[in-house]
Amino acid sequence: MALQPTADLATADPGRGGRALGQRWLGWAALALSVVFIGYVAVQLADKGYTAAVIVAAFLALVVLALYGTRRAVPLKYLLPGLLLLLGLQVWPIVYTVATSLTNYGQGHLVTKEAATAQDIAYSVRQVPGSPTYQLSVAVKAGSPITTAPLAFLLVGQGGSLYVGDSSGLNPLAASDATVTSGRITAAQGYTLLNLKDANQRKDLSSFAVPTAGGGGIKASGFNTAYEGKAQLSYDRATDTVTDSSTGTVYVSKGARWVPKNGQGEALPVGWKENVGTRNFTDIFTNDTIRSGFLGIFVWNIAFATLSVLSTFVLGMLLALLLNNRTIRGRGVYRSLLILPYAVPAFVSALVWLSMFNQQFGVINQVTGLGVDWLGSPWAARAAILITNLWLGFPYMFIVCTGALQGLPSDVLEAARIDGAGAFRTLRSVQLPLLLVAVGPLLVASFAFNFNNFGLIFLMTKGGPFLTPDAQIGSTDLLITYAYRLAINGTAPNYGLASAVSVIILVIVGLMSFPGFMRSKALEEVS
Amino acid sequence: MHKRAYGTAAVLTSAALLVSACSSTSSGSSGGGTTSPSSTSSATASPSAVSSSAPARDANADLVIWADATAAPFVQALAAQFAQQNGVSVAVQIANDVRGQYETAFKAGQAPDIIVGAHDWLGELVANGAVAPVQLSSDVAAGFNPLAIKATQYNGQTYAVPYGVENLALVRNTALAPTAPATMEQLIATGKALVKAKKATNIMADQMGKTGDAYHGYPFLSACGGGIFGTKSNGDYDPANVIVGGAGSVKGAAAMGTYAKEGALSTNIDSTNADSLFQSGKVAFEITGPWSIPAFQKAGIKYAIDPLPSIAGCGKMQPFVGVQMFYVSSAAKNMTVAQTFVTSFITSEAAQESLFQIGQRPPALTAAYDKVVTSNPDVAAWATAAKGGQLMPNIPAMNSVWGPLGQAMADVISGKPAAATFKSADAAIVKNIKSAG
Repeated sequence: MALQPTADLATADPGRGGRALGQRWLGWAALALSVVFIGYVAVQLADKGYTAAVIVAAFLALVVLALYGTRRAVPLKYLLPGLLLLLGLQVWPIVYTVATSLTNYGQGHLVTKEAATAQDIAYSVRQVPGSPTYQLSVAVKAGSPITTAPLAFLLVGQGGSLYVGDSSGLNPLAASDATVTSGRITAAQGYTLLNLKDANQRKDLSSFAVPTAGGGGIKASGFNTAYEGKAQLSYDRATDTVTDSSTGTVYVSKGARWVPKNGQGEALPVGWKENVGTRNFTDIFTNDTIRSGFLGIFVWNIAFATLSVLSTFVLGMLLALLLNNRTIRGRGVYRSLLILPYAVPAFVSALVWLSMFNQQFGVINQVTGLGVDWLGSPWAARAAILITNLWLGFPYMFIVCTGALQGLPSDVLEAARIDGAGAFRTLRSVQLPLLLVAVGPLLVASFAFNFNNFGLIFLMTKGGPFLTPDAQIGSTDLLITYAYRLAINGTAPNYGLASAVSVIILVIVGLMSFPGFMRSKALEEVS
Repeated sequence: MHKRAYGTAAVLTSAALLVSACSSTSSGSSGGGTTSPSSTSSATASPSAVSSSAPARDANADLVIWADATAAPFVQALAAQFAQQNGVSVAVQIANDVRGQYETAFKAGQAPDIIVGAHDWLGELVANGAVAPVQLSSDVAAGFNPLAIKATQYNGQTYAVPYGVENLALVRNTALAPTAPATMEQLIATGKALVKAKKATNIMADQMGKTGDAYHGYPFLSACGGGIFGTKSNGDYDPANVIVGGAGSVKGAAAMGTYAKEGALSTNIDSTNADSLFQSGKVAFEITGPWSIPAFQKAGIKYAIDPLPSIAGCGKMQPFVGVQMFYVSSAAKNMTVAQTFVTSFITSEAAQESLFQIGQRPPALTAAYDKVVTSNPDVAAWATAAKGGQLMPNIPAMNSVWGPLGQAMADVISGKPAAATFKSADAAIVKNIKSAG
């Protein structure tokens, strides 16, 4: 939004004033529009009750106004969009992951303690033994508003006896006051019956119960039937315990769940989310399985990323050099063909390769007659993964190298030729160093991508083949697939633990990329 | 204003959700790896709405149901009837991964009212507090297959309404193998003759893959008295009693090893090629379930469904029995309509009959079963094959079993000793259950 410079021009050049004025209005309109948009989003967020998000949105609107409405900070105008995306898409996920890694968030620990306790109690509601199932009609007193008036249950019990139940209790209903059609009350004097749609609007219906003598209540089961149910569990806030009235078991909170105080029996099913400090991290560093698996996987992970980058780069570069030769005819066709594997979605190629590597039915063994158990033995599986990744990755390197080669100054090559350098010498001493300056950072990026190449591993081997006794550590596992299985797919999903592993991977990748970027900078200085 | 507005907010929240979901799995990934449900839905809330996009909860409907792509059209037809009878609007939305997407939506407070899925999700749903109890009166419950009712229960509470029962059986190509084998040994003899005559490439297809498949391998364990969990006194599975390393399971595993040497079991047969081998007539026998049948019919293969054969020195192979059902979400925004739909509508004979069309699974309601069995001989065959089968465990501890047990099976098939492999798998499972808490 280059608003101010054009406004300045408007005074200097009367001939261009009209256009500048138009641009100026366009700028202001865009500014107003973005503020209106943020306002709209804020209203929605407020509607949903996200208070913190509303404050952030309001702050954002202020920043936008202050920046683009004045000329106080011109450079920031260009930086703000990127800055916001950086905060939203990079910084926030990292903060969120770190925050999650300090909790026990995961299966069975999704909700707050209050919600979990309420759910445990709701799950303990049983039909009172020997009590009847009623045919239900939901009603309110005639003449009162159906959306807010106190609810009443018009019930037909066993043997056709009629009742009316409200928050005070259950009372008989005279048969003369009600019309019963096919077992249900369809009209009653003094009451307005609700239809399903109206009843659904009454969100108090699912918690409503007609109190009964035994301490239970008659509850609706849907819209047509009601039953007398009683919760077996009750929560005592004073002692922070839950008691089962049918067995007398007292449950205390331990490890974010309700467990029996005497240690006998099982915990209640629903647990809650709580902060566990650095426990997830200490778990990772003290668990034998994780520790022993970690090193092997880490080594393979580095080898996989390094070999993938090297093999794809070498093949891509050689092909690029070959097709850079002007004497080859039909270079355009070859180039298009070589880019094809890149155009096919990677997951399709991976699945095709997967079926080609099948020991019995795959085309590779059928053609070569090797009979290698490609995906069943550790080293063959690693080779299969690398071959597939070479296929998937070389076109990228080919494109990059082709571009870089075409950008090389021809005078340098000419000088080399005049100095008597052969083709290989030119490549080694002139072309390669110049090429590396251009593609060096891309190699580092490619390394980082392959370091976390979850998709390929997951589609090809899912980390396997696994080495029993431990089906947690796969021969082709990367840290990221290992973390995925460990924390999400293997046993009970544990997002806290998964986040902790992610944080560790983040640190590792960061530490490893740092020297790479340093080195690529060093190359830049050489040139 | 209010209703229109939800769309934008939903997109924003789901975007935020995606960010958080991605971050929790792979903060360092530079794209390309994770597959997460994209949330772009614009389903209208008319009674006949099927939204095929990845679901974002339809806020306008009086009832929102999530089902997978196979089930959705039939659920939709029923839902339309229900909507018309009761003057409400129902939206049926397709979720590619109902279980995973439901959990994500539940965490974000955007859960649908009802989900359609398998009974072994139950323990996990209960632990997350994500499912609401359902009250089936005793006379309604008495009309169902007792095994199906048992599948809806967890810790003595009922949580769902079942509609279909599914299990593995031996599907046979009648052109290649005219008679049903009573034992694995007969099956292998027939299969070997076919392979020798170049009529088949393999003796049998049982999807196993390089990392194994505990579901498709379980019948070999059950035949010899083995299994996964022991049972408590009330008949529930006991996660503290893992019997993978027990004598029965080891005996079954040894049988798997023997059959693998004969060529009847192979880790080269996996979920991608098992059905297509049978479909193309390259294998005479496949151990599979009702879900494979539509493809076989399409391919014009003449097939028969037989009970699983027995193993020499052990007994008859028993499959796991799975039950498909309707769950009501504990976070249902339309609890009354949802409960009414599952308890009064889905329990009806007509509804159960039309739900039979989903994958041709034998109905859970006895009256509906009796009706479809007269018109479809496959139904009786599946039910016969299920006889004696145990319910697939619905306890969350089952999540700790699939990986180690599957790999142990694959290893035994690849020639490793049965006893040692299964004993160490047992230890790994016990350890996993412990660490899962």
